[in-house]
Amino acid sequence: MSEFLTDAVAFLPVLARGLATTILLTVCALAVSLALGLVWALMGMSHHAPLRWTNAIVVNTVRGIPIIVQLFCVYFVLPDWGIDFPPFLAGVIGLGIAYSVYQAENLRGGFESVDRQLVEAGTALGMSRGMITRRIVMPLGLRTALPSFGNTTVMLLKDSSIASTITVAELTRSGQLLAISTFKNGTVYVLIALLYLAASIPLAMAVRALEKKAAWR
Amino acid sequence: MIELSEVAKAFGARQILRDVSFTVEAGEVACLIGPSGSGKSTILRTINGLERHDAGTITVDGTLLSDKSLPAIRRKVSMVFQRFNLFPHRTVIENIIEGPVHVLREDPEAARTRAVELLRRVGLADRADAHPGQLSGGQQQRVGIARALAMQPRAILFDEPTSALDPERVGEVLAVIRELAEDGMTMVVVTHEIAFAREVADRALFIDEGVIVENGPARQVLTAPSAERTRLFLDRVLRPH
Repeated sequence: MSEFLTDAVAFLPVLARGLATTILLTVCALAVSLALGLVWALMGMSHHAPLRWTNAIVVNTVRGIPIIVQLFCVYFVLPDWGIDFPPFLAGVIGLGIAYSVYQAENLRGGFESVDRQLVEAGTALGMSRGMITRRIVMPLGLRTALPSFGNTTVMLLKDSSIASTITVAELTRSGQLLAISTFKNGTVYVLIALLYLAASIPLAMAVRALEKKAAWR
Repeated sequence: MIELSEVAKAFGARQILRDVSFTVEAGEVACLIGPSGSGKSTILRTINGLERHDAGTITVDGTLLSDKSLPAIRRKVSMVFQRFNLFPHRTVIENIIEGPVHVLREDPEAARTRAVELLRRVGLADRADAHPGQLSGGQQQRVGIARALAMQPRAILFDEPTSALDPERVGEVLAVIRELAEDGMTMVVVTHEIAFAREVADRALFIDEGVIVENGPARQVLTAPSAERTRLFLDRVLRPH
């Protein structure tokens, strides 16, 4: 036990840096996935059939390819066409795209749960479709989407470990390097697991708090 | 003010409205009565284009209803809903200024001042900053009426404004509508409140199976109807169960 503690104290600074990268990667990929997800969600609900078809193709394609393969595509395949991203950016883009389709589903579920009668009230006031979306459907739908949005974010945090395969020095990768150089597999991977937990539990709690705050009286 | 001429509407194969023609003059209160599913709410909803009519013409304040004129018509006609349909994420006063500020592009401060005045008129001056969920049904409906008035409409459509209320809350909403009638607001009211219609309406229309069975002065239609079907309906509605 005391050996574990001495090792832990020695490893933690390295792993903490990895965790910081993991969190930054998650936050950036989250932003990308939300922005893209909003586009997909609005396309999916559009009145123009070609937009809906494009959306269906994108969503099914992205959902049908493993995230690790998507990251490889961004990091190893795009350079063949002259598009070269550094590892961290490739991770943000790959995870952001992969997760955008789940965010789109979350958002669409939220938007579609908005009472049609409120849309009618806006229509009767003379609001345009765009105004109704912005001022009624989005604010109300986002609140409904919050719980599933929280789940997705925790999943994203964990899946950010896949970026270790394209040399991003996030938590998993930092740990792997430590384990290889010290042969202390047990200590390192237990610490990694604890650090992921330490990051995801507060995240889930934060989403909970946000839900409570957003619930209108 | 509002004129429907030979309006027809079908949902799929089901004919909802047939040859509906009537006129509501400026300052007049017209009540639409009839059994559930008779098409009276649909008539109301064609007037501001929430339902699109298949045939016939609808004219509001001299403007013929069409896809092009729809925005203009919605500015002239406000609507009050059975289930209030207040925006739950906005406060009472925000609900009221939503249309004036975002559709009519009024100055927010001016709109707010007018909203406070309207809230006083419906007896809710102290609830401006409450959320709809904190209000009783009757209070919510009065906010709904204030929201409709805030658009400074030429006419207001009421779609069963008291049907979703607890019985003891009906009176406070009817009182507000009665006051509007006294002020000369043009109103079309779908209602089951026969006694109220008798007292406040100038005109009553009895609708059954998508057809106007009877159209005349409210007192006459609701006390001495000429059509047998109207008489049967009133008997059923007015007789204590």
